Amino acid sequence: MLIELEGLEKTYEVGSESVHALVDIDLKVDDNEYMAIMGPSGSGKSTLMNIVGCLDTPTAGVYRLKGREVSMLDDDDLADIRSAEIGFVFQTFNLLPRMTAFQNVELPLIYARGDRKARAERVWDTLEAVGLTERAHHRPNELSGGQRQRVAIARALINRPSLILADEPTGNLDSRTGEEIMGIFNELRARGNTIILVTHEEYIAEHSERIIRLRDGRIESDLSA
Amino acid sequence: MDFRETLLSAMRALRSHKLRTMLTTLGIVIGASALVAVMSLIAGLNSSVAAQFQSIGTDIISVGKYPWVQMGDEEDYWRRKDITLEDSEAIGRLPSIGLVAPNIHTRRNVSHGGTTMRFTLVSGSTPEYETIDNFPVSEGRFVTSMDVDRRRQVVVLGADVAAELFPIVDPLGRDVRVGGKRFTVVGVLEEKGDILGSSQDDLVIIPISTFEKAFGSRRSVVVDAQPAEGVPVDEAVDDIRQMMRVRRKVPRGEPDDFAVNTQDDLMSSYESLTGVLYFAMTGIVALALLVGGIGVMNVMLVSVAERTREIGVRKAIGARRRDITLQFLVESIILTMLGGIVGIGVGAGLGFLVKALTPLPAAVTPTSVALAAGFAIATGLLFGVYPASRAGRLKPIEALRYE
Repeated sequence: MLIELEGLEKTYEVGSESVHALVDIDLKVDDNEYMAIMGPSGSGKSTLMNIVGCLDTPTAGVYRLKGREVSMLDDDDLADIRSAEIGFVFQTFNLLPRMTAFQNVELPLIYARGDRKARAERVWDTLEAVGLTERAHHRPNELSGGQRQRVAIARALINRPSLILADEPTGNLDSRTGEEIMGIFNELRARGNTIILVTHEEYIAEHSERIIRLRDGRIESDLSA
Repeated sequence: MDFRETLLSAMRALRSHKLRTMLTTLGIVIGASALVAVMSLIAGLNSSVAAQFQSIGTDIISVGKYPWVQMGDEEDYWRRKDITLEDSEAIGRLPSIGLVAPNIHTRRNVSHGGTTMRFTLVSGSTPEYETIDNFPVSEGRFVTSMDVDRRRQVVVLGADVAAELFPIVDPLGRDVRVGGKRFTVVGVLEEKGDILGSSQDDLVIIPISTFEKAFGSRRSVVVDAQPAEGVPVDEAVDDIRQMMRVRRKVPRGEPDDFAVNTQDDLMSSYESLTGVLYFAMTGIVALALLVGGIGVMNVMLVSVAERTREIGVRKAIGARRRDITLQFLVESIILTMLGGIVGIGVGAGLGFLVKALTPLPAAVTPTSVALAAGFAIATGLLFGVYPASRAGRLKPIEALRYE
């Protein structure tokens, strides 16, 4: 089992009020699943993604990743888990503007303290997998939206993570480019990656095999295709 | 994250804000250049003073109306009663004193044939002057006691005067005119070189008795003395002062109305001069580094704020707290190091300028360069710690949400 959430809660204090972003979430995700999390804004889907992605910690409950309890870890331990286990793809790409595509893709390897000589080869392989070898030495502002998202996907893949987390990965792309990007995710799925998509677009969610719907911080439905 | 990558990343960040980087380092540039320039000035002073000390005898005691380092009103010194040849003889009779050489000075034209040297220093003295004041002769002889006794019209030429008036022929035995009076050249002095741009070789020495006959005797005498063998300079100075106070009838409790100069006086006034320079420099440098450091901290805080999202992304893809902290710390150190390098360049330039345009032989010292570099780096470290640790502590989700 890759992900196990039991009785997960997340509460924010906003002024004197408590906002219950997540309430009693139980969820299991297996290796090799392709899942979408859906829900209207404010439903808690971003909060859930942040916790699953180890960017945030729950207020209560248990989160086990690959059987390891991670809900109580400190900053640096979470950073190590993100480095080793999780690849993020963001709606706004979040590439570093001063670095080339190559350097952006290389960065997670550097933080994972990979061997420098092995690094370049790995970066080229990964860029090839997303079809971007020719644009490797361009900066993000010299790339199209679709190309930028491919760089971001390559960056997410470079450390061979157990889980790819994509937050509205097609949200800033036109629908044709969006379909191309979804094609890449389908390919990754076929090669055995575990993918969790966060989206509010039905047609995007339909690429996945399991759809979780959130409403007011609770799981409303959990449907497998 | 390895150090090479951290370094490259910091360089990239600084390159993308060239103007800001330059302005930020200004304080550091000023601090570093002040440090290097002032220390090169002091090094120049040191070497010229060392030369000066070498040209005077080391244990010389010089008694006169004027102190070597004058403080206050010139007129107060000028009004003092003259020192006389009798005073000189009395000093010479003191058991604690070895040799004495009374000497008097004026400035006159010195000429030979059609060539004239204007306002050359003319010194009248005795044979002992050669030893006490260190005037070795390169050719011929110095003034002898016979010359003094007989008031001979003889002259010993300084190296410059000899070279100027006798470029080709040997000056020995030739006649020159000193202040219009005829003198026969009996010797030429060894070259002493320049101190702070003024030549020490533009002088002539004649017997003191001849001097008084030719140029008048109503001048205050300077008595240069050497302590007797084995007598410390301090003791000799005390003896001279006591005797001179009695001779000049200085009432008890009144200050001396004459000056007893030693190298120690010169040394201590020199040390107080460099002390002031060091003090002023330390002030300027400390202030500039403080201002520079605050500037660096400010810019680094701005930079952290601007790059909050970048920090969030870096953390999301696996950067630890210390990776981020180190990245910003290295950035601020590079920032101040650049300032230090430019400052060292500017300071060295100022030093060379002083050397080229003034007689002071300013010299850039490795110590000052090392100090400037060290202070620059320390400033970057000190003022970079806070912004850098703030960057490192940012929470990834908050940083990622930052617009």
